[in-house]
Amino acid sequence: MGDILEVISGRKSIRRYKPDPVPDEMIDKILESARWAPTGENYQPWRFIVVRDQETRNKIGDLAKVGSGSRMTAWYCLGHMQERFEAIEDPEKRAKVLRFMYSGEVSEFAKTAPVVIAVLGSLELGSVDVPYDLSAAVENMLLEAHSLGLGGCWVHGPVASSRDAVKFKKILNIPTEMSAYKVIAYIAIGWALEKRKHPRPKIPLEELVYWEEFGKTTRPKLPLDELVYYEEFGKKEKE
Amino acid sequence: MDRMSYCNDLIARMEELFFHELSDCAGWKTEFIGIDFIQSKQIAGDNRDEIIRNCLKAITAAGLAEEGSFAVAGEDILLRLKVKGCIHMGKEARLKDRGINIYNCIIANMINDQLIEKLNYETAYVASIDAEEEQDLCEIKIAIYETMEKIGCVSDWSEECRRIDENNEWQTIRADE
Repeated sequence: MGDILEVISGRKSIRRYKPDPVPDEMIDKILESARWAPTGENYQPWRFIVVRDQETRNKIGDLAKVGSGSRMTAWYCLGHMQERFEAIEDPEKRAKVLRFMYSGEVSEFAKTAPVVIAVLGSLELGSVDVPYDLSAAVENMLLEAHSLGLGGCWVHGPVASSRDAVKFKKILNIPTEMSAYKVIAYIAIGWALEKRKHPRPKIPLEELVYWEEFGKTTRPKLPLDELVYYEEFGKKEKE
Repeated sequence: MDRMSYCNDLIARMEELFFHELSDCAGWKTEFIGIDFIQSKQIAGDNRDEIIRNCLKAITAAGLAEEGSFAVAGEDILLRLKVKGCIHMGKEARLKDRGINIYNCIIANMINDQLIEKLNYETAYVASIDAEEEQDLCEIKIAIYETMEKIGCVSDWSEECRRIDENNEWQTIRADE
């Protein structure tokens, strides 16, 4: 079996897309990958809505823009955003990046991605693990898209707030009762227009991993008597 | 223990669990908490300030808070709110004690709801909540967006707040008025 790590580590979030359509066979493969995600007790609560209609994607793009922009405008006004981007030294570039963020334009790209897949879960079918099952399905889809040469991005913004989640459901005619379906995200799919710097900085494993218990950063060593044989393989006792 | 303390204990536990599940995203999910009360009050008003005033009148008249003050600045996006004697101070204090940043102001949720429902505001976002139990006072900063075009209109809120205080731009509604 091949090692999938190359696909995993080569994936990046793409937010700018060529207008070229994505073939149906590719969309089918992406959806098929979602179907095989791990799911608690095999409930498979996920449902997917494939959106290619431009008008619908515009509505989703606007909702995402308002969602992200409303939060980031406030964060900027409080001075929080500036701290986040102070590593960009060129003041003009920093101002441009900040404006791109707080205007909400950063999240508007459903309008230009040829395919948007809304990811929702039935709360009646699988009420134990719905967000986790759906997240696993999203990751499968992003990896499959990447392996097919497509770009994709996981977008939570337009369903992050409860009020926006209701608006999102209305756009796609999803039942709006809180007890029915939970929308966790959509993914945008298309042919990448951008070449993002890659890989983006990742925290080294040593800072992420503990051994045996929280906070223990040193990998435990096996005791010598489990490593050493005497005179011949497997012989643990000295003569 | 009185009934309000009992209720605040329950809500604090709920919010603690909710924070544990969603961390800083929890506040984005609680914006409907409190809207049933305010929607039952048939709040009227033709403009932003009237709606906010009438919300605060209904809130103080019902005994949910002793006093509410507000000022709007920063391109009409910053809604600064001070609530004195809120019956939910107990739950905010409990959350602070447990190291959780307060994220759900029920009074702010009510006002945001009415701006959206009555004046068709595009959206509103509770940006910060500061509760001081000793003074029995909360200060909340909310971003209110009348239209989509208001998204991205930025200003320096620390400067705006300084100006509000200096010029005493506060409008205050008290329970006994």
